[in-house]
Amino acid sequence: MLIGIDVGGTFTDGVLFDGRVIKESVKRPTDNDNLDRVILEVLNELLSVVPEEKTVERIVLSTTLVTNLLATGKGKRTALILIPGYGLPHDAYQLSPDTFFITGAIDFRGREIEPISVNEIRALADKLKQMGIKRAAIAGKFSNRNRSHESQTADILKQEYPDLEVFLSCDIANQLNFPRRAATAYFTAMISREWQHFVDEVEKALQKRGADIEVHILKADGGTLPLDISRHYPCETIFSGPAASTMGALALTMDNKNSLVIDIGGTTSDLALLVEGLPLQASRGAQLMNHYTHVKAVSVRSIAIGGDSPLAYSDGRITIQADRKGPAACFGGDAATVTDVFNYRLALQQGDVNRSKNYLQNIAEQAHLDLDSMCDQVIDDVIKTLVRATDDMFKEWENEPAYRVWEVVHRRKFTLDRVVGIGAAAHFIIPRVAQFLGVEPFVHHYSDVANALGAAVARPTLSVYLHLDTERSLCSVEPGGVVEKTHEIVKYQLSDARELAVKYLRKWGKERRMEAYLDEYNVFHEEQFNVIRGWNRTGRIFDIGIQIAPGLIQEYQGVK
Amino acid sequence: MKPTGVLFFPAFDWAISPTHPEREERLLYTRDQLFEEGIMDLPQIKEYKPRLAEPIDIAAVHFAVPELDAYLLEAHYIAAGSTLVMADAYMNGEIKNGFAIIRPPGHHAMSVSHGNRGFCNINNEAIMIEYLRHKYGIKRVAIIDTDVHHGDGTQEIYYHDPDVLFVSFHQDGRTLYPGSGFMEEAGGPLAYGTTINIPLMPKTTDGGIHYVIDNLVMPLLEEFKPEIIINSAGQDNHYTDPLADMRFTAQGYAELNRKLSPDIAVLEGGYSVETALPYINMGIIMAMAGMDYSNLREPDYAREKFSESPRNLELIKKIVNTQLNRFRNRQDKIEQNRRSVQEFFSEYERIFYDTDYIHEEQHIRLRNCPDCCGFRIIESTAQHRNGKLYRVMCISIPINCCSSCHDQGAQMYQDLIRYDRYDRVYLQDRIMREYRSFNPDREEEEIFR
Repeated sequence: MLIGIDVGGTFTDGVLFDGRVIKESVKRPTDNDNLDRVILEVLNELLSVVPEEKTVERIVLSTTLVTNLLATGKGKRTALILIPGYGLPHDAYQLSPDTFFITGAIDFRGREIEPISVNEIRALADKLKQMGIKRAAIAGKFSNRNRSHESQTADILKQEYPDLEVFLSCDIANQLNFPRRAATAYFTAMISREWQHFVDEVEKALQKRGADIEVHILKADGGTLPLDISRHYPCETIFSGPAASTMGALALTMDNKNSLVIDIGGTTSDLALLVEGLPLQASRGAQLMNHYTHVKAVSVRSIAIGGDSPLAYSDGRITIQADRKGPAACFGGDAATVTDVFNYRLALQQGDVNRSKNYLQNIAEQAHLDLDSMCDQVIDDVIKTLVRATDDMFKEWENEPAYRVWEVVHRRKFTLDRVVGIGAAAHFIIPRVAQFLGVEPFVHHYSDVANALGAAVARPTLSVYLHLDTERSLCSVEPGGVVEKTHEIVKYQLSDARELAVKYLRKWGKERRMEAYLDEYNVFHEEQFNVIRGWNRTGRIFDIGIQIAPGLIQEYQGVK
Repeated sequence: MKPTGVLFFPAFDWAISPTHPEREERLLYTRDQLFEEGIMDLPQIKEYKPRLAEPIDIAAVHFAVPELDAYLLEAHYIAAGSTLVMADAYMNGEIKNGFAIIRPPGHHAMSVSHGNRGFCNINNEAIMIEYLRHKYGIKRVAIIDTDVHHGDGTQEIYYHDPDVLFVSFHQDGRTLYPGSGFMEEAGGPLAYGTTINIPLMPKTTDGGIHYVIDNLVMPLLEEFKPEIIINSAGQDNHYTDPLADMRFTAQGYAELNRKLSPDIAVLEGGYSVETALPYINMGIIMAMAGMDYSNLREPDYAREKFSESPRNLELIKKIVNTQLNRFRNRQDKIEQNRRSVQEFFSEYERIFYDTDYIHEEQHIRLRNCPDCCGFRIIESTAQHRNGKLYRVMCISIPINCCSSCHDQGAQMYQDLIRYDRYDRVYLQDRIMREYRSFNPDREEEEIFR
């Protein structure tokens, strides 16, 4: 049996899945002050209904814990120590109120331009001690090509101030983009302890039951990460909600079509794309607290309209409000909502249609509007907003930069096949949206728990980036923070570079218990450059990206 | 505040040859630097995707012998198309200015193009300017060529156009390819004074170049009042460039762009791929985006090495004075020229294609029109590398010429295609936006419109 739990903004959903059927589903209001408690409650409730003769093989949690800690200011005070060298002005880095700049510079080939200063770092250690700051993130420009400045700085700081907990940017993300590396390391440092605590709690809860169950955390890219590995990469857990619903859409459809996935929640709707059966990833990585990070994430567009968004009449207009007041009138709520409009006007016969009508009638009278035409106007608003967001998404995808002739000539085109609805209100709204877009709607009877199902059946993912500079014998790998000199690579050809990338993929894949999927890797990025000095080749530079892409676990055979 | 547009097209899969200065690696370290800085993530920057130019965009500028696709690759269409993306974004008001960091380059490509010279096949800036003029009705344009090599292609294309101010400072042509760009090259008889060349001694530094910017280029721009300023942004004045011998720095380039404040900058040459380009490109972007670039420098930079020698500065001051006077007195000279001939001005030119090793001879005639800047007839002969000799006739009717010139030029084309003395006859009619080429062998006419 499989368990999937997804913490949403309004509700936390959990499912117990077996064979091709959801055996049990649990819904609890999300309590942002006590996220761990809600998750553990839902988990316990699902575990308690597991029959004697059955065992749970896998639990996947999709949680907003990290985002929530940061958003509510519960991240711990952290010093951000930057080694930016030359380039952008220092005031370009507005990340932490406790930012410290130290000397030292490295260039794009990993060569030291300017050394770090031991005395400066010792003085900084004293200062941090005095300020009572107990955590620090260190990020250096081009530390992904030479990690010595970051690690030396960490060593000196710890010598002087042993209680300081230090995080290196290259350990957490090892790709180009210094500000994103700095942000990822900084946010990791802020919430690392708190995440460890959560992992401890989950492990304790399971130990108490004496169960030896594989536990994974859903990542923003739609793949999972074993709970113990997540201790090193807590930021990978952000934005798993949209990933859960996108994987849910994939789990319900299980084909290679191009789908627009609309997850209609209480007060917001999230739009994502399945391109030939794979969730489209955001090109720049996830944004956390308005800063780009190196976290790979499903590309999502959120709009402020959900099934429970109440209607209001103000300033001579009917508007869709952002604050949820409770469920739709037809389900016992005390406000006319978007759901009520669709329910009444399209005669969907859900809940108490009369309540829908009565509440809507009230607003129509305030506005001196005919009830039906008011409803048509709201439906029109909702659909137009969704369609506009969809168009923006397509355009953005088609207009991603391209750096090769080949990519420009083979322009990407996207033709939509289908709209997949996720969330309880999807039944109401999606058929109309699909009609407007001229494609087929897809709404399954599991649509309202598809997010938790998506989490339960998502497989682990892993991307490995390799940068080799044979002239400098430099090998840099992500993840893992490997930046080392190795003379073995001096004679490497492209095929050797690819093989080395696969070797790393297998090594880390095993650690992440994804042996079953390791043969399904694909190379998504491959570059080879000759390094020419004078008129001779003096070396080669390879950049390889390989991955186990998001997908569904082998055990999953679809739903009835 | 509107962002600065950046279109980064490093053409990682295009090279003249694997070890040529124009090779795949050229913008690799620039990519690493820009991406590591995360500059594309900043709200001040908006990144754009390239597109292909249309054949008509290229035909608006070039007489390609024997035809466009004889030597044009997709890479050329994309580099040219990228400048059009920047032009559209700028004209639509999406960006306050834009920088197309693109390959292959273009400023050595002339109107008649028999192949590649100075690593260039088609002139990206000219293609963009004609596009701007046609699509958005822009009339007056200033091009400041900041490449170390004389922008002889752009100069030739606008040599007879008084509405385009072309200013090029470069290492003296006696010491560097293409061997032109002397002060006396000042524009055709009816467009005299709107081509301004500033040949500089080898080893001229930040100090010298900024003297030229402050005391010549900026006053020229102020007096000419262009609607749009284009920086033909070569980066090979840098002190580490392997092909040239100047002493300009990344700071110097950034400062230059702050002063110049170009609406659109387009990358041209620059072959110090590792020690100059990453820093200069960062500097130009930062300057165009109005960011503080004082923290930008090359690893081996030392400020004191880049001030100008008094002797060279004296020389530069003389050049600046001469050229400023030439520009200010240009109308008198044009009036003199008008009185000097009857119907047509006539001139012979020899053009060398260093990359493709082609020698071209041209006979150029320009109508001495009392009402406009006249139309041009270029007779061009060159033996291509495949051994074939091409003799072609090209008629160029500029967008700002009068109806009498237009009609006479168009009629001349009709007359010429009845002769079979030429391998091709071309009509470039920018007024009607109609570009024809006639192949007498096959009696076929190709028309872009």
